[in-house]
Amino acid sequence: MFNTRGWLALALLSAFAVPAMAQSFRVQCPSSTITHPDANGTGVNNAEPAYLGPTTFTTSTTGSYQVPSANVNGAIKCQQISGGDGYATMADGHQTFLFSFGPLSGLANIAAGNPNGAFDAGTGAVPPNVFNTVFPGNPVPGDPATTNGALDNGSTYSAGTLGGFTYNGAVGLAIDADCVAANNAAITAGSPTLPCPNTPTSGPYLGLDGHVDPRQIMDVGVMNGNIPAPLITMDEDDEFFLTLTNVGMIMRPDLFEQHTVHFHGYPNASAFYDGVPDASVAINIGGSFTYYYLAPDAGTYFWHCHITPPEHLQMGMVGQLYVRARQNRVPSGTNLYSARVSQDNDLRTACKSTSDILCSHNLPLTNGVVSATGNGVARAATGNYVYNDGDGSTYYDVEYPLQIHGFDPNFHFVGMTFNPEAFADMKDKYFLLNGRSYPDTVNNGPMVTQSSDTQVHYSQPLASVINIPAGQRALLRIADLDVSEYQTLASLGIRMQVVGYNAKLLRDQAGNNTGYFTNSITLGGGESLDVILDTCLVRSNPADPSSACSAPLPAGSVYFLYTPQLDHLSNDAENFGGLMAEVHVN
Amino acid sequence: MSTTNTQKATPMKRLLPIATAAALMFSVAAQAAAPGITGTGATGTFNLVASPANINQPDGNQVYSWGYGCTVATAAAATFVPSPIANANCSTMQIPGPTLIVTEGTTVVVNLTNNLPTSAGNTSILFPGFNVTSTTGAVGLLTHEAAPGGTVTYTFTASTPGTRAYYSGTQGDLQVEMGLYGAIIVLPKTVPATCTTGLAAANRRVEVAHGESDFRLSQAAYDHPDTCYDREYLFQFSEMDLNIHRAALAQVTAKGACAAGAVGCSLEVPTEPYHPGYYLINGRSMPDDMDPNYDGVYPHQPYNGNPHMHPGELTLLRVIGQGRWEHPFHEHANHVRILARDGNPIISSSTTPLTYGASTGATTVAGQALAGLLMFTTDTFPGQSFDGIFYFTGRGLNWDLYAHNPNSTDPNALLACNADANGYNTGTAAAEAAINYYEWCQDHNKPLEANPLGDVPGGGPMTLPNPNIFANGAWYGGSPYLGPDATVRADSTLPAANGNGGLSSGCIANGVSATSVTCSNLQPSNTQANPPNERGIAFMWHSHNEREITTNNVFPGGMLMMMLVDSREFLIDESQ
Repeated sequence: MFNTRGWLALALLSAFAVPAMAQSFRVQCPSSTITHPDANGTGVNNAEPAYLGPTTFTTSTTGSYQVPSANVNGAIKCQQISGGDGYATMADGHQTFLFSFGPLSGLANIAAGNPNGAFDAGTGAVPPNVFNTVFPGNPVPGDPATTNGALDNGSTYSAGTLGGFTYNGAVGLAIDADCVAANNAAITAGSPTLPCPNTPTSGPYLGLDGHVDPRQIMDVGVMNGNIPAPLITMDEDDEFFLTLTNVGMIMRPDLFEQHTVHFHGYPNASAFYDGVPDASVAINIGGSFTYYYLAPDAGTYFWHCHITPPEHLQMGMVGQLYVRARQNRVPSGTNLYSARVSQDNDLRTACKSTSDILCSHNLPLTNGVVSATGNGVARAATGNYVYNDGDGSTYYDVEYPLQIHGFDPNFHFVGMTFNPEAFADMKDKYFLLNGRSYPDTVNNGPMVTQSSDTQVHYSQPLASVINIPAGQRALLRIADLDVSEYQTLASLGIRMQVVGYNAKLLRDQAGNNTGYFTNSITLGGGESLDVILDTCLVRSNPADPSSACSAPLPAGSVYFLYTPQLDHLSNDAENFGGLMAEVHVN
Repeated sequence: MSTTNTQKATPMKRLLPIATAAALMFSVAAQAAAPGITGTGATGTFNLVASPANINQPDGNQVYSWGYGCTVATAAAATFVPSPIANANCSTMQIPGPTLIVTEGTTVVVNLTNNLPTSAGNTSILFPGFNVTSTTGAVGLLTHEAAPGGTVTYTFTASTPGTRAYYSGTQGDLQVEMGLYGAIIVLPKTVPATCTTGLAAANRRVEVAHGESDFRLSQAAYDHPDTCYDREYLFQFSEMDLNIHRAALAQVTAKGACAAGAVGCSLEVPTEPYHPGYYLINGRSMPDDMDPNYDGVYPHQPYNGNPHMHPGELTLLRVIGQGRWEHPFHEHANHVRILARDGNPIISSSTTPLTYGASTGATTVAGQALAGLLMFTTDTFPGQSFDGIFYFTGRGLNWDLYAHNPNSTDPNALLACNADANGYNTGTAAAEAAINYYEWCQDHNKPLEANPLGDVPGGGPMTLPNPNIFANGAWYGGSPYLGPDATVRADSTLPAANGNGGLSSGCIANGVSATSVTCSNLQPSNTQANPPNERGIAFMWHSHNEREITTNNVFPGGMLMMMLVDSREFLIDESQ
């Protein structure tokens, strides 16, 4: 947000005003940073550059710290979310109150969901040139559902027409008139530096310093909670800015509840940005807090509120988060082993077993021995890899985040109605995959629920239909956020290959892959793993999962993901529902 | 519909600082280690008793329980390790039972005397993972037992290192619930050279330089060159259903001093349905678990859970699931490498050894590659233990955790960072003497904040929010940065009228005390839990079945601890 001239000049402003602290709601999404410089506003950080090798550094003369000299990797991603409440519909029709996070950026992306396992679909994390755009006009309460014509009024139910609402920027972002005036005054005075962001001199950055219109935020953010909470995605080497805006919980005027975001599983996390209120700070109603992280190592993590966790997690403040491997960005045809070796030239991205006991993506063995050239597998022309495996073993074509959760309807009722909460008695009756129970899990498109304020919301945007083109591989990024019991998910017909566990590649210190095949996985709350479903029976190169398939499963087949914990195959009193979804081979 | 109900979340959260303050009022510094007793004599002989007593819960309940303890004579003659631990004692009943600490190869003899009420019947101890022989006592189903008032002797060789559980083998559904469990730690006979040379030795030197005693039981968890550690903790997880304990007390009281073995002199306490309300770490619920070891307020719950570490220290976690439920124990701030389960190291199938120690400047030792999982949520299972390694360094944060600032006049803001083979500030006398020992050098001097108020580097990507719109936690240090020096520099500024408004104008830098009236000081004031001389960065370690971080329906409580990463400016004293 601040170019190099801007922040220096803003320092002058700060002599007269507490810098950038005047407004409680604000967003932050710089287009240029130390790690990802863009002094001339070319927009280089709006897209991922190819990975050609680790970044090299030189020492900045002004600050005596390391700045990139070549091979700037990664980009910048920004996201805004609301912390508040909302409503969702359970599979037995029961409307359930939520404490929840809702999207305040990427609204169109999120409404569109992820029907075909596309990479980077359904996420609110967007680059600065998308985030820093002002909504043309004013969004209305319930957006994007309202603009798309969604209905849920007892007699009519419709998800509306997706695509009517197209905005993905930061809700509320508005031109700061004071900022523009200050710039104009500086220009008139012939000053060489401008106090406010003004790069490029015309266009979307003019006068945009993070200032927001609170009315837009409240119109859209109040009661727009989603379950799961908005998806966070990024790539290794990215800088990520997440603004949490606390819009209050309208159904609980007795609570002055703060909210936080805990990035679960981040190695070497900062306590300040870890989202634990006891260890750090928590944002009050009417304020915004921007979290900042350089993306952690590739893997499937998740995120959630950490205020009174037994309450806020049960009530639904749980979201998915994953980081894509930089191996995905090496040019097609590059030998994966040598690309992996080059990562060891940067100590931050290196992994050597005898130097670091907590890393797992060390160099792979080839047929059980160390080989200087690896197994020869090259980066496929399509598809992605879960980890920097160096051998192509974690290759996949489509990806789906799958969040497992459980709701206790009694607790949610109590959460809405000022009653004492019996944590010890907590018992889930609804079992959710991506916020829905069967059969809602297999209804494509967002689910609409009308809230107590009569506005419709896409509060459950994600179906759990795993669409896999015949012969291809699907990655299921599975996380469990249940607060009271372990959950098991099984695959009928297509075996599961577990390649990663707790956001680490399954590989031992020698370089053997320790992934395994199974028909089911069991996770406790706070745990995640990576499962690949392969719809190919015979490949041309068994060592290369991206190689051509000569025996795919038949197109049109439908398989099931379900829980063998048979009591979890229910929607409260309704038999046969719960934790179940479908796999479609297309 | 009253809104003053004390079980609602908000009033409880407001009580947190008060409850915490009360618990910590007399114990500003309370760390943990893995305290226990060593056996007497050339062999490891332990004389234990099983006795009843009440244990304390944070809601004020005194819960009737049973536990293992030491005979009076044993307690008097016991060697408490590590030394020195203040107030070390071993009463006739404690939960968990006394941690037995022996060295690999020792012949261990455990004599157990049954001082439970006669109606409780026999009791015993199982030592899973060892080949136990017993010829005395009554013959039970799983092992020999001690009859009421009687004694049983168990003998076994501590053949391999590791952390393992011990617990009652008699009527286990009741006796383990009542508290009859503990831990036995076997230390390796030989410590690999990688764990006593190079960085391992340097880490110890740095501790000595800062006045810290060595509270480890050993320097390696196993005779394997990659199981070195600088600090260790033992955590035992369990649950309690108050109804079971009340029923046991009622029946024991009703039977009185009945004749052992007589008809009717037994207990019929139902242990299902199981509905726990207490979730314990080392026998205590939060916040009690963070009070000192051997705190007199908990005469029968001597062990605590209050981990501290410095950046770069390898921390060994010895974790046991006692009780009957599994718990997803989540460690914030990094992963844990599982070294072993139940004392069985998890090793790669590759027989070609790796060479350990080269990158840490140690004497190199060959060893088979480790193959245990890396987990950020380490499940505990009933009766199962694991050993794992954890560390924190701040690698990859992309800003300087120590807020070094080349424009400052504070010497601590001007420290250098000279990267070793792994990128950390080690390997020189200057690094070992400095408070930024083990700093991740790639981020040295790199700013977080765009326009900081205090004497920390500027030009970074972030603008922090106005402190008026957020709430401080009880363990919040006052800034994103680590340590008292960085925090004071970040939170203190001279007013603009002094001509020093804006950047780089911290009080320290201008020779003004941070507590003087001319210094604007934004440090949080009510922070007994993370006081001004500590200012560590805090992370929550807790069960992720979030229902279990409550005490009898009240949050916060239960299976929850705060782990503090402390600056070298703060002396971690695990004698408490």
